[in-house]
Amino acid sequence: MQGNEVALQDVSMRFGDFVAVHPTDLTIRGGEFFSILGPSGCGKTTILRMISGFLRPSTGRIRIGDGDVTDLGPNRRPTALIFQNLALFPLMTVWENVAFGLEARGVPKAERRRRAEELLELVALPGQADKMPAALSGGQRQRVAVARALAVEPAVLLLDEPLSALDLKLRQHMRAELKAIQRKTGITFVYITHDQGEALTMSDRVAVMNQGRIEQVAATEAIYNRPATPFVATFVGEHNVFRGRVVGVANGHARVETPAGRFVGVNADGLAEHDEAMLFVRPERIALAEGHPEIDNQLDAEVERRDLEGPFVNVFLRAGGRPVVMHLTNVGDAAGRLDGRQRIGFAAEDALVLRAGQLASE
Amino acid sequence: MSNLTRTYGPFLTGLVLLLTGVWIIALIILPQVNLIDRAFVYVPRGGEAQQAALELERAQQRIATIDFDIRATEKEIAQAASGGGSAGAGGAPSPSNPFAPGAKIGSSNVVRPGMPTPGLAPPAAPPEQRLKTLETERAELQGQLGGLKERADRLKAEQQAATGYSLRNFTTMSGLHWRIFGMTLVYSFSVTVLCFLVCYPIAYAVAQTRSPERVALLMLGLVIPYAINELLRIFAWVMILANRGILNQLLDTLGILDLAQGEAVHWVASNGAVFCVMIYAYILFMVFPIYNTIETLDRNQIEAARDLGASTWRIHWRVVLPHAKPGIAVGSIMTFMLSAGSISVPGLVGPGLHPDWFSQIIYRNYFEAGNWNIGSAQALLLLVACTLFILAVMSLFRVSVREIAR
Repeated sequence: MQGNEVALQDVSMRFGDFVAVHPTDLTIRGGEFFSILGPSGCGKTTILRMISGFLRPSTGRIRIGDGDVTDLGPNRRPTALIFQNLALFPLMTVWENVAFGLEARGVPKAERRRRAEELLELVALPGQADKMPAALSGGQRQRVAVARALAVEPAVLLLDEPLSALDLKLRQHMRAELKAIQRKTGITFVYITHDQGEALTMSDRVAVMNQGRIEQVAATEAIYNRPATPFVATFVGEHNVFRGRVVGVANGHARVETPAGRFVGVNADGLAEHDEAMLFVRPERIALAEGHPEIDNQLDAEVERRDLEGPFVNVFLRAGGRPVVMHLTNVGDAAGRLDGRQRIGFAAEDALVLRAGQLASE
Repeated sequence: MSNLTRTYGPFLTGLVLLLTGVWIIALIILPQVNLIDRAFVYVPRGGEAQQAALELERAQQRIATIDFDIRATEKEIAQAASGGGSAGAGGAPSPSNPFAPGAKIGSSNVVRPGMPTPGLAPPAAPPEQRLKTLETERAELQGQLGGLKERADRLKAEQQAATGYSLRNFTTMSGLHWRIFGMTLVYSFSVTVLCFLVCYPIAYAVAQTRSPERVALLMLGLVIPYAINELLRIFAWVMILANRGILNQLLDTLGILDLAQGEAVHWVASNGAVFCVMIYAYILFMVFPIYNTIETLDRNQIEAARDLGASTWRIHWRVVLPHAKPGIAVGSIMTFMLSAGSISVPGLVGPGLHPDWFSQIIYRNYFEAGNWNIGSAQALLLLVACTLFILAVMSLFRVSVREIAR
């Protein structure tokens, strides 16, 4: 099996007056694990349903491999979809579920059974072939759904938040399994999720969507470290946001005047003086600055609360009337005694200056 | 129980239990017990014993008539001997002359319709000869009387011994009635299957409709005809299917047939018309259970099957139909029972023109022949057949009573 490339050209979807997906160009490379990440209602499921063929785009063409599939129904596309609720057939046994796609293709029963057993082996479910889906645990049902989708040897596997019903431990385990299956089979995976953790841990590349538009398509590291828009910056991971105005630019850096002080950050959008700007700093990039004059940006803040998260301590502060969050690694007892007024700071390289825009939390 | 009293108080609980008890006993148990009791009691009507009793009675009456004639003839002879030529002018009325006063009263007292009328002996023969003939006949009859009486008594005794619980109501049912019984089951089954074929697409379409307004509209369209009295609904169909009804007039307008020439398709003369009206009459009983089950089907399952490459036919066969099985079972059971027991539809749509339904036979036994015992036996037969049908459907569809109740 080898995954095919999926290409959306100027694809848009409108339902009456509502535009679910604005005209979009997107290329998903063959054999990659691609995630579409976004809040609910952002249009990610609509894109998935257009790729799978359940929705016909209002405009644009969809290509899978070398073929234009825009006018094909879901039963004639080289895709397989794993539903959010899995949609296993409750009245069929596990192996009949897995072999359903083969049954639809007229494969003889003995061959179907053999293929089903093979696939159940692949998803680590041997010996469960004759059970009913209801007799399986959540994680096992998940694997059956994967096996059922793989049975039709799709070029592209589409996954619609299939892990959302599982508990945390199982979810983390299944992430690894899905990733392993993707490596083993080489199929293109298109994974829809609103959970950034899932997207970051499993994917090769991620597209972040908001309100029917793709905000950024990039590798996971780039999405986290170099978000392209304020929305991506605040939707993926946590960010401290300082709003302000650019007061100076130099060497790819910008100085921003904010209510909490003047800070320098990487001028990613190439802003000019007087531009409205937002400066983003990850909580883990903020450190205590007392006695560290080499830290570029420094500010005074009042500690309001400390939450012990385990590996780190979540410190909530307030500076210039704005909340600031800082993660302190749980080493020694520095964090435990943190109180009152503190001097904190962050390096200019760890701060990102972007053109002011919509944040994920708004 | 204690839970009930705690929730509703002793008075309300008692009342509810009382009403439930009355309901169960008066409306379910007693009628059924009565029906079963009647079905197994054979009340002979007609038959050999009746025939023998009738023959005996006839013989006795004939003897009485002959006695009368003998007396009259003897009197005639006596008069002839004393009064000469004025014979028959006065005196005792002669049975030969029905217009004579007294003869009428006398004969109407004895003679019943269908009995040989006295005085048929040829009046031309001389009285002595007539007397002789009558006496011979009387002696002959008298001789037979003993045998007849013995036979009638024996048969009556046999009959009395036979009355009481027996299977004779069933065993004496004519072959024709058995045939009608069998055909009624076949008809009802056909109605059920046709009704399913009509209702499944409707139920599926309604269940798949996403907009609530359209569902409401479709449902309203199905329910509105049921606001009309059942008989009116049937008569509406009679109006459509009658020889000079709407359908034939439509064909006339289209030039397919000429009503003026007396050409007409006799729709109501076939069971097709009965089937058609029954499907219309019972469509809701099939649509709603199927709709209710399909409604609960996760649409993702249909999409998943489609995504895996299944054709529409396979999606229905493997995913939708298995899911709708309990609904289909309930709908089939209801439609079958209603059609097998329907009296109004076969009774009003071309009665006597299409083959009889068993329900019509039962009706006639109850209300025309007045033979409730045979009627009960036939009703019981139908009840058993329907019960067997329910059990067969339940095992065929592998659904339990609990699923059906759902």
